[in-house]
Amino acid sequence: MLPTIIVDDEKCEDPLSCRRCLIICPTHVLGLGTDVGAQKFRETDTSHFIVRPVRFDKCSGCMDCVDGCPQSAIQVSFGGGDAR
Amino acid sequence: MCDWCEKYGDGYERWYFNPANYARRLYKIRKEEAVASGAEANPQAAGGMAFVGRDFIEARDRGDIAEVERIKQQTEGAMWLTHFGQVLTLEEAHKITDIMYPISLISCACRRSMEGLPDEENFTCMGMGPGMYKWERWPDTYRGGVHFLTPDEAKEVLSKLNKRGLVHSIYTFGTPYLGGLCNCDYPDCAAIRTVVDLEIKILWKGHYVAKIDPELCNGCASCIHRCQFRALSFNPSRNKAYIDQFQCFGCGLCATECDQEAITMVERASLPALANVW
Repeated sequence: MLPTIIVDDEKCEDPLSCRRCLIICPTHVLGLGTDVGAQKFRETDTSHFIVRPVRFDKCSGCMDCVDGCPQSAIQVSFGGGDAR
Repeated sequence: MCDWCEKYGDGYERWYFNPANYARRLYKIRKEEAVASGAEANPQAAGGMAFVGRDFIEARDRGDIAEVERIKQQTEGAMWLTHFGQVLTLEEAHKITDIMYPISLISCACRRSMEGLPDEENFTCMGMGPGMYKWERWPDTYRGGVHFLTPDEAKEVLSKLNKRGLVHSIYTFGTPYLGGLCNCDYPDCAAIRTVVDLEIKILWKGHYVAKIDPELCNGCASCIHRCQFRALSFNPSRNKAYIDQFQCFGCGLCATECDQEAITMVERASLPALANVW
């Protein structure tokens, strides 16, 4: 069964320096992207980095990311059930 | 024969030994690619993380074979024209450092994405060829800057990364233009995990296959952890390493670790059953 994983970007302010969820996930489900594309002559500010479930097919539902996120920014749910 | 050697080898032993595939005139895709990912503001494209979307994973999950095959073929078709890789042995990677110029050590986009690694801990990727002269136009791609290397320095770096357990592979940026020499591991490398987990051939197997000599293998198992492709296991009945040659990508990491020299890298083309397993 596939999960729905939602990250609240407002709460998750600087994932590149926090990266707690990336490290804590036993199956490397989560990854970083940016909410802007690559820009010519400009390095993307770290505030534009966001966490997304890249390998959600490998999510076991252990909820370690949900419990470990210092900002409580991550929700994981299966089969339309209540999100934690 | 390897499709890419057939198409772009031009008499050279491998397509990536053909200097024409590093030529400036071929380098044109970068701009289009960057503009496209910017326009969509797609976090996965920007982070270099995923080659397929949720539709593919869902089709797989519900066992919709036709849909899986459709998306797979569509993705491979697009990627083989623009950006895909093939696995190399350390020797082959060394040889390439004498063909292409310049060579630069850059931070790895995949590990930045999957590990959030600070740039200074993340210099494991190599950009090469004329595109590197313009690196300052795309500071985000080259976060942490660029270290230009001599061919000898590049060989030394490749050997160190091999020791660390990273797989060497070469990538096109607008096929057949070759612009990247990556040093990767599962599951952080987007190409390795896509081919291993999803069976979408963003990364082609290399020209060699690892073969074990049961007489020489002493069962120390030091090779087992080197495999990033699930081709190596330990066989307790015989007390020896076991290599699934059909799953082997030919990177040679197991062979470089074996101090009994029990693993040799055999030409894929010399094995009838494997000659067309890419």
